[in-house]
Amino acid sequence: MAKLTIPAQELMYSGHAACPGCAAALAMRLVLKGLGPRTVVSIPACCWTVIATPYPTNALGVSVFDNPIESTGASLSGLRAAADALGYKDFHVVGFAGDGGTADIGLQALSGMLERRTNAIYVMYDNEGYMNTGVQRSGATPQGAWTTTTPVEGTSRGKPEAKKDIMGLVLAHRPTYAATLNPAFPEDFVRKVEKARDLTGSRFLHVFTPCPPGWKYSSEESIKLGRLATDSGIFPLFEAENGKVRITRKGGALKPVDEYIHAQGRFRHFTPEDIQAFQAEVRLAWERLLRLEKESL
Amino acid sequence: MTRLVMSGAYAQSYAALLAKVQVVSAYPITPQTSIVEKLADFVATGKLKAEYIKVESEHSALQVCVSAAGLGARTYTATSSQGLLLMHELLHWASGMRAPIVMGVVNRAVAPPWDIGADHTDTMSQRDTGWVQIYAESNQEVLDTVLQAYRLAEDPMVRLPVMVTEDAFYLSHTVEPVDVPSQELIDRFLPPRDARAVLFPGVASRLGSFTGPDHYVEFRREVARAMDRVPATFAAVEAEYERLTGRSHGGPLSTYRTDDADAVLVTMGTAATTARGVVDDLRAEGRKVGLAKLRMFRPFPTLAVRDLAATVDRLGVMDRSYTFGATGPAATEVAAALYTSPHRPTISGFFAGIGGRDVTPGEVRRMFGALLAGEPTDVRWIDLEEQQELKIHG
Amino acid sequence: MIASELLAQAAFLDGREPQSFPFFGVERRGAPVTAFARIDDRPIQLRTSIEHPDVVVVLDPGLLHTTPVTDGLKEGGLLLVNSRLPPEEVVAPASVRRATVDATRIAVAHGLGTASTPIVNTAVLGALAKAAGVVTLDAVQRAIDQFVPGHRPENRLASSDGYESVRLAGPMEHGAPVLAHRLTPLITVPEGPLATRPSSDLHTAAWRTLTPVVHLEKCTRCNFCWKFCPDDAIGFDSNGFPVIRLDYCKGCGICAAECPPRTIEMVAEA
Repeated sequence: MAKLTIPAQELMYSGHAACPGCAAALAMRLVLKGLGPRTVVSIPACCWTVIATPYPTNALGVSVFDNPIESTGASLSGLRAAADALGYKDFHVVGFAGDGGTADIGLQALSGMLERRTNAIYVMYDNEGYMNTGVQRSGATPQGAWTTTTPVEGTSRGKPEAKKDIMGLVLAHRPTYAATLNPAFPEDFVRKVEKARDLTGSRFLHVFTPCPPGWKYSSEESIKLGRLATDSGIFPLFEAENGKVRITRKGGALKPVDEYIHAQGRFRHFTPEDIQAFQAEVRLAWERLLRLEKESL
Repeated sequence: MTRLVMSGAYAQSYAALLAKVQVVSAYPITPQTSIVEKLADFVATGKLKAEYIKVESEHSALQVCVSAAGLGARTYTATSSQGLLLMHELLHWASGMRAPIVMGVVNRAVAPPWDIGADHTDTMSQRDTGWVQIYAESNQEVLDTVLQAYRLAEDPMVRLPVMVTEDAFYLSHTVEPVDVPSQELIDRFLPPRDARAVLFPGVASRLGSFTGPDHYVEFRREVARAMDRVPATFAAVEAEYERLTGRSHGGPLSTYRTDDADAVLVTMGTAATTARGVVDDLRAEGRKVGLAKLRMFRPFPTLAVRDLAATVDRLGVMDRSYTFGATGPAATEVAAALYTSPHRPTISGFFAGIGGRDVTPGEVRRMFGALLAGEPTDVRWIDLEEQQELKIHG
Repeated sequence: MIASELLAQAAFLDGREPQSFPFFGVERRGAPVTAFARIDDRPIQLRTSIEHPDVVVVLDPGLLHTTPVTDGLKEGGLLLVNSRLPPEEVVAPASVRRATVDATRIAVAHGLGTASTPIVNTAVLGALAKAAGVVTLDAVQRAIDQFVPGHRPENRLASSDGYESVRLAGPMEHGAPVLAHRLTPLITVPEGPLATRPSSDLHTAAWRTLTPVVHLEKCTRCNFCWKFCPDDAIGFDSNGFPVIRLDYCKGCGICAAECPPRTIEMVAEA
């Protein structure tokens, strides 16, 4: 057998209730591989509330704490405070929240936690919408995408607004560590989790998690889409340690976005002009990131 | 034991200090601020060894406590008015999680219009959240009750959060002498938290979870049962506290000169002090009146109210808040408690002290006057009658 | 769920009083779900789940092995299953009439859904119109025209095919009696909501429509299949070859798609 390139330990149990092909499930599996069993995961209302399976079962081989959708950041501060007060050593405090629970309704608590320098790891798994409630748009939904609240009919042509720059918002707080992760690149993914694990202070991981029912593609394509998103520059992989930005995957020229767009039902209505506009935005963001890498200190 | 002149706000802070709370969260709101400022001092000077989390909202303040309690820490926070309303969602989380949090609440009016005066609307809006609610009358009672609250909250028979409330300014910013028990005494009364049924590092389990109708009702019933066990547990806690300190505040419904009374007025919070004075005056005038101070509003002391009602024909209930479209919350509950009682006195509802308006001896006299005259009413806005009177006489 | 609502719409077009509702549980793509429908000539004065149905319709034949679908079914009731099998081969209690329709084949033939996730609702409704007579085929097709968002001609044809091809059989000669609908048992819970049983107690095989089959002769033991499995449903044998844990595999197909030498094939379940 080829050597395993990621840790063998499994702390996400089978039998969980994620949809077939769910990248958010794979993301949890990889995060816990990097952290180990002495971990508490605070989970707000999101897909993972349900994926973790109903009482009396639990899908994770760690401590799990439920919190309401908007207060994951505060929950991490509370868990860490208790762990410190009770003298728990080598104990990882982790949030695992969706994009809506992080970048929309949870932004205030996240900002508070980052500003307080809470010694915890905040993972945002980004499936680009409110998927647990049946695919409504969030601040993280990309421009033009179909959702049930940004339909493609009548005068509506998908989401009119651009996706929030979540990493920009996070980096403005200058956390100890922030990185983008993609389960299509498991080695890079686990390396970043382990790096975050070994640092202290506030750490933020933005994880790209394609969603078959929400993005309307066939379940076996989750990894392919993740790879395309990074290779097309739509979800570039980078990390920032104390503000210093480093792009962790730079594979020559970016692929055109076309293949990524065409693979998903949520972009089915895109005209060639729409794709061009999408492409232009991606190129701009990529150039901004390159500049940031060069200029950040 | 030391005797210090301190505010009702500081009485909360000193109690948290003596309780050796491990996690404090704080977001400022008038008139709660001096509670958490004093705690910041205690932590900064090393008197209190606690993690002090300065949060960005009251919602987060209570989340910090709920999460910290979930790992087994003893927690404290304090708030008031709008802050308590913002916490509303987390209040349910705290009780559902069976988190033994103790929270100080300074009762303050709810906007709009903005008003920072004493008013019970803030806590009355939270009466269905599964928290024990205890209303204090004096700074001494604040300090003693916060300490008792930790014993009650953490008791294995209860394990529910407790809010200890005090009227804005009438207590929070009023200084008066307070007996502060010694740390050694309180250490005997309140041992470290027994952190059972919480998350523990390295042990896979999920606190909170989700269910369908198949388990949800069972968990709700557990909360209800815990509430039902509060009266007996609280009685034991109070008895032990009295044994150690010599002080008791008289159970969930504390009565004064009610034995042969023709009329009894039920009040909450600081209005009781003034009303007690009026009772003495009226008794001196030969009128048989008494006072019942409703200390505990949740769980509602139904049996104590029935015992009281068995001896009196006219009951008045003074509310410091109003339920729009219904009537006073305390008056409603008193009436409900007596519906199946063999002896049912007439019940009159009075609204007084709304939004920080003074509850004067004259007003209390008018309430007793109405009771003795045998004119039961559903709604009397005593504050406004005073105003009209002033107009007439001025 | 969609089939149930469409049935209600069709019954309404027939001039009757329908009621349809889903059982709100863990609703996930592929996860088994239950929906209820009542049809009457008068407005329905009941808002509860159905404990004693006249008809049970099973859209996924795999559920017959995992779920007690006929519990509570009325004497002489009908069990309609989406299955390639003839109805005589469907195991059911003694008092239950049986019917089968190969709705998956019909759906795929008309381009409704994919082989891994066929959309069988309209073919099954056509079959139901014939087998149970609770609704007319005409009403089903009018409901399709009004309420199905896409592929209306194909869905109409699927319903006709379902109507024409459904096969009926009487009760089994030596079938067991119908079991009573299972009541919620009295349970005790800890005082706090603390869940401690691992989710691996729950099997998710019923979610699957396609099954991965590993052709070991081409396998390079690169372990990509293991690495990318969102369900942790792949282990290794003592030689390092992958073993699919079929109790948990949901059939997403990621292992097959990501396998560099393409040694994994997704095969339709029998």
